[in-house]
Amino acid sequence: MSAAESATAIQKNQVDLLDFIDWSGVECLNQSSTHSLSNALKQGYREDEGLNLESDADEQLLIYIPFTQVIKLHSIVVMGSEEEGPKTVKLFANREHMGFSNVNDFPPSDTAVLSPDNIKGKPVVLKYVKFQNVRSLTIFIEDNQSSSEITKVQKIALYGSTVETTDMKGLKKIEDH
Amino acid sequence: MVLEATMICIDNSEWMRNGDYAPSRFQAQADAINLICGAKTQSNPENTVGVLTMAGKGVRVLVTPTSDLGKILACMHGLEIGGEMNLAAGIQVAQLALKHRQNKKQQQRIIVFAGRCAVIACSPVTHDKKALEMIGKKLKKNSVALDIVNFGEDDEGKTEKLEALLAAVNNNDTSHIVHVPAGPNALSDVLISTPIFTGDGEGGSGFAASAAAASAGGVSGFEFGVDPNLDPELALALRVSMEEERARQEAAAKKAAEEASKQEKGGEEQDATMTERASEGTSEADNKKNEIADDDNTLLQQALAMSMDEPTSSQDLQDTEMSDAAAEDPELALALQLSVQDSTKDSSSQADMSTLLADQSFVSSILASLPGVDPNDPSVKEVLASMQNQSEPQQKQGEDKAPKKEEEK
Repeated sequence: MSAAESATAIQKNQVDLLDFIDWSGVECLNQSSTHSLSNALKQGYREDEGLNLESDADEQLLIYIPFTQVIKLHSIVVMGSEEEGPKTVKLFANREHMGFSNVNDFPPSDTAVLSPDNIKGKPVVLKYVKFQNVRSLTIFIEDNQSSSEITKVQKIALYGSTVETTDMKGLKKIEDH
Repeated sequence: MVLEATMICIDNSEWMRNGDYAPSRFQAQADAINLICGAKTQSNPENTVGVLTMAGKGVRVLVTPTSDLGKILACMHGLEIGGEMNLAAGIQVAQLALKHRQNKKQQQRIIVFAGRCAVIACSPVTHDKKALEMIGKKLKKNSVALDIVNFGEDDEGKTEKLEALLAAVNNNDTSHIVHVPAGPNALSDVLISTPIFTGDGEGGSGFAASAAAASAGGVSGFEFGVDPNLDPELALALRVSMEEERARQEAAAKKAAEEASKQEKGGEEQDATMTERASEGTSEADNKKNEIADDDNTLLQQALAMSMDEPTSSQDLQDTEMSDAAAEDPELALALQLSVQDSTKDSSSQADMSTLLADQSFVSSILASLPGVDPNDPSVKEVLASMQNQSEPQQKQGEDKAPKKEEEK
């Protein structure tokens, strides 16, 4: 019942938060220079199975995504291959500039262990209450499905909704009469 | 102009007392560090630099990353030498210092001066290499770049270990290693040309250039010992005068060579305006000679040989001819004046020149005044003819006058 509910919820009022990502501040630690984060996040690249985000020195990845406005995060989709796709994914809301050393110092806002279904595209529903007021999201990929040296992520998609905030661009000066 | 936070790790171990780098290893290091700090802060005003020492009682951070150059230079004073350097601990502390930098947008970089490296004292090479590779991997994971300055002696496979460390850290060529052998060159001078200073191909080279001039004090890598940055006008003036001198020397050398080999052709010119004709003249003279040889016209050859035998006597004649001509022809005198004047005037004066050139008598008298030139030489006449290609009838006139001149002689 709840699974069906959450599935329909995605279709109803949740949107793909791709449009609200602030690309100038997006960072990824330990990514391979040839296979970078854009391969997993950007429209078009993420649909391409040949283009992956790959880790470099070891299997962990630390992704930092700021948003242009405050959002509520409902669910995420993380897709990858069966062996080298991510397994344990920890999410931190509103933590700036984390590093691998302090990633275990804070409790994550939510943890997702990806099953083979998830890795194929099934969304992971998050603890909505923890993600009500998100300015930035840090995704820590701790290990992968087969514990290999390199983690490969094909797609990362975020679903949620925006909080009503003022769009400064829409403000117009009131004419004096 | 990369925005960067840099931590410099100094080796202040006992081995730095050695004088194989003038004046002492430690002083050379200090000079190099001063230069690096200056270069970094100049290339981007928001860059920060910090310093720590690796030997002594333990790793000690002297100054956390700051853009205040004075603070950095001040802390370099009164540093004591002693103990043994601990590379692993030094790098780790540097990494921590960079992690807590104030401006998180800065790229992280560590510069290590490895004089005498004992990672874990008296350990076999393999163990050290492993430990260093782990450190390198950690640095790469946290996107920290590493520059290593390898100086001093190479014992216990130090170079090997450092290369392994660099290989582990290096991501897209952002990290470098420089090996500085002992010798007369100062450590800082060697470093200036390396990527450590030039910052991956851009940025600090301007500062490095002026620093080189200042520190080297005379023995600089610049032409004329003057730095273009410090005194561009002087450098430009020196360069121009050097080029003029070179051109003058080349012309003199050319003249000497040609006089020696082609005196019988009489194709040597001194006047600047005539230089082009001279080169044409000599080339045509060569052709002429070939033709003569092919034709096997012995008589003509003898005539040429005769003219070669008596260049000096003909000169006097030609000089008198010239003065007579000038006296006779006030128009000619005027023409001479014009030709002496500035040749870079407008095309109107050029037109005047060309009309003057068309006057065959004028030209031949000019040529007569020049030493070593035989105006009656048919090759020279050909050259003149080709110069006057604007007016074909003039050419014919020239040809008519040529036999006349020969008759005169």
